Amino acid sequence: MKHAVPDKQSIKKSEDMSQEEPKKKVNLKLIIGAVIIFAALVWLIISATRSSSQYFMTVEEIQVRSAELEGKSLRLSGAVLGDSIVYDAKKLQLSFDIVQIPGDHKVIKEMGGMAKVLADAAANPSLPKISVYYEGVRPDLLQHEAQAIVTGKLDASGVFQASELLLKCPSKYEAELPGQTQNEPGS
Amino acid sequence: MFFFYSGLISFALALLCLLAGIGITLSQLFRQKHTIPVSVKTLSLSAFVLHSLAVLSLLILQLTQDYTNAYVVSVIHEAMPKVLQMTAIWGGQAGSLLIWSWIVNLVLFIALMRKKQALDAWAYLVLAINTVFFAGLSFFVENPFKRVWLLPSDELAEALFAPAKGAHLYGWLDGFGLNPLLRHPGMVIHPPILYLGFALFLPPFALAVSKLIRGEELGDLLVKTRAWLLGAWLFLTAGIALGSWWAYEVLGWGGYWAWDPVETASLLPWLTSTALLHSLFIEKHKQVFRRFNFALALLSWLMTLFAIFITRTGLISSVHAFGESQISAPLGYFMLATLLISIWGMIKRWKDLGSGWAFKSFFTRDSLILYSNILLLGLLVICLYGLLFPMLSEGFGGTAITFDRSFFDRTTTPLFILLVFLMAVCPIIGWSLSAFKKPSKWLWLVLVLPLIGVLATAVFLSKKAIVLAVIFIILLGIVVLVVQSLVDWRDWKRFWHQRARYAAWLVHAGILFIALGVLGMAHFTDRIQGLMIPGDRMPLGQYSVEFLELKQDDSHPEYLRVNAQLKLYKGERFIKELNPGQDVYYERNQWISNPSKHATIRGDHYTLLLEYNAKMGTATIQLIENGMVNFLWLGSILLVLGGVLALSKPATALNEDTPQAEQTPGYPHEA
Repeated sequence: MKHAVPDKQSIKKSEDMSQEEPKKKVNLKLIIGAVIIFAALVWLIISATRSSSQYFMTVEEIQVRSAELEGKSLRLSGAVLGDSIVYDAKKLQLSFDIVQIPGDHKVIKEMGGMAKVLADAAANPSLPKISVYYEGVRPDLLQHEAQAIVTGKLDASGVFQASELLLKCPSKYEAELPGQTQNEPGS
Repeated sequence: MFFFYSGLISFALALLCLLAGIGITLSQLFRQKHTIPVSVKTLSLSAFVLHSLAVLSLLILQLTQDYTNAYVVSVIHEAMPKVLQMTAIWGGQAGSLLIWSWIVNLVLFIALMRKKQALDAWAYLVLAINTVFFAGLSFFVENPFKRVWLLPSDELAEALFAPAKGAHLYGWLDGFGLNPLLRHPGMVIHPPILYLGFALFLPPFALAVSKLIRGEELGDLLVKTRAWLLGAWLFLTAGIALGSWWAYEVLGWGGYWAWDPVETASLLPWLTSTALLHSLFIEKHKQVFRRFNFALALLSWLMTLFAIFITRTGLISSVHAFGESQISAPLGYFMLATLLISIWGMIKRWKDLGSGWAFKSFFTRDSLILYSNILLLGLLVICLYGLLFPMLSEGFGGTAITFDRSFFDRTTTPLFILLVFLMAVCPIIGWSLSAFKKPSKWLWLVLVLPLIGVLATAVFLSKKAIVLAVIFIILLGIVVLVVQSLVDWRDWKRFWHQRARYAAWLVHAGILFIALGVLGMAHFTDRIQGLMIPGDRMPLGQYSVEFLELKQDDSHPEYLRVNAQLKLYKGERFIKELNPGQDVYYERNQWISNPSKHATIRGDHYTLLLEYNAKMGTATIQLIENGMVNFLWLGSILLVLGGVLALSKPATALNEDTPQAEQTPGYPHEA
């Protein structure tokens, strides 16, 4: 291992590529280095996977399994009920209810797309709902029928304590058509 | 009506021209001929002109507010400024897919037009197939010319032509308008710049595939692809930076990067192309790393396809994605086919690409570049895993698992720090080992100045080890670059000749600045919020804001604008008036926040109107201090300038400068 730190000479040599110099020892070091790097990368990924991942669930799944899920890191997605939004701007405390929407993209597609699913869910009082509590700024997109994706934990009283809140508005305009059909055709 | 037909027909003809060109090229290849016939060129150029006419038609439909067009209804509002009515063409899925396919066609057009480096038939074929694929996707799956029809059953439907007997064209009186979040200047130009960056990865891919198929001229990948890669890197960097600036200025949470799937995906080709630009540099000098470079050229386009897939299919929940769409299956299969062709090509020419590379020493410049590339690929693996694992975990049964941003923060931070460290020491590593034995005045300067900076940081700002380490690395990098520039300054007449080298320094300086910005945003931010009545003052550190009054402005037909009039003070000294506000959009039933800030080189004071009570005249204000955040944008500008400077040097002229540079008198020689 005496070549660990190359001296002047070896640098000079390495600059000159026309010289072939088979160095098995250094190649072994390279392999060891590669293994160490790879192991470090794998360790980083695995440890971060353990600490930063959440189960992605629907409102219904959470309600069915609420006992075993309490305190676990979860993420869930649902349709926002506009009337339920309560926001204290002074304390930055936000709470609202979200309604069950399917978790599977295919099912959503079959039901007519996300925009329709969200609108139907928000209009159907018989679907499972859950209350979400969040501390922070009220996001611009938080409104009736928006899709909320919340990350956090379920507390003992069944309220979802969100640490992260992501909102998506259905961008497809078909969903907005019903409210506008009073317009007269022709232009 | 005219522009509906002109758009649809020219779009259809463009597709036919491209298909005909592909057919002729295939028959040409069948006869073992590798040049592109004139007829194919003519067809391809016509396709581009026709495609442009289609884009123009949609633009006119938007500007004339033809509300029989479904896309126009979804993104246009009559009160929108004309500029936004034009740029709304990339404000929704259908329009932006048309623009994306047009940009791919534009790149094909440029590739055909370059006289010096003529395309061969295989490269043309790959380019044209990709163009046809995206144009076809736009035409058949998300056609932006679809019109709105009123069915006899009183329902509305979207279709090109009457979907049922008795259906009538239906015209809205007004549209919904562009999503207000997308109206910021950063977002107005962000998509086309990003698309151009993405599309420019296609020619290097096509050239690499052509070389792999033919097995000829495997050695000149650099000369053939450098301009494309630099262009792609340049636009991609600018696009990502603009997106990040937009997030900071508009989204209102004071952040600039959230590891959102779409952001992360756009980083993938950036990582591979950055690695590729570095190892092509070594291939130029030493004729090594050829397999690696081919793989990276292929991978850059694959990652681009993947990024498009994530943005457009909505398979991963993201704020930026367009929402679920019909294009995921065709795009998925196309990606798979591209992947298989790439793997097949690499296996086929694996032996021919071998270059007898042997690892010689740990401390040469090539070794350092190799380490950097390993780190860049490590980051790529992390990002891919972070994106795919949630998808795969769902596919393999059981509950889907997702990551929050802390996954990316934890895994990428050590790699980014190492990367910046390597970058900082790279310029000195050639001569440092000899310099350590015979210390030169430069070396003292290079080590002592950063240490002084670290001491100052520890005394005045923060004693956190990670902060001090990163500060040391950044200052080391900056001092090294400054010293190098001073040394080179003696020979400033050669500046233009050696500009490729200074371009690299400029880019590295930009990365160091960005690192400073990232550090500031991670460790030197603070915030406070409170409910204020007129006359109240809220302090944050040395600064404070005074709330004067609420102002409402209802003169705009699309939204009601509410502003809080604030005064920012440092101590008792008045600095600036700030007016954060909210726009409440009537039609969309959506409100957006307009932050207002005071920017200095040391950081921003960023204010938000969180909520207001018009009757009481009260406002909830948030004041955020973002330390060193402007280094992010300053660094991004340096990256772009460096990219432009590098691009000004033709690849064929690259061999001229480096030897002289190393012989410059007074320049600390390597070895």
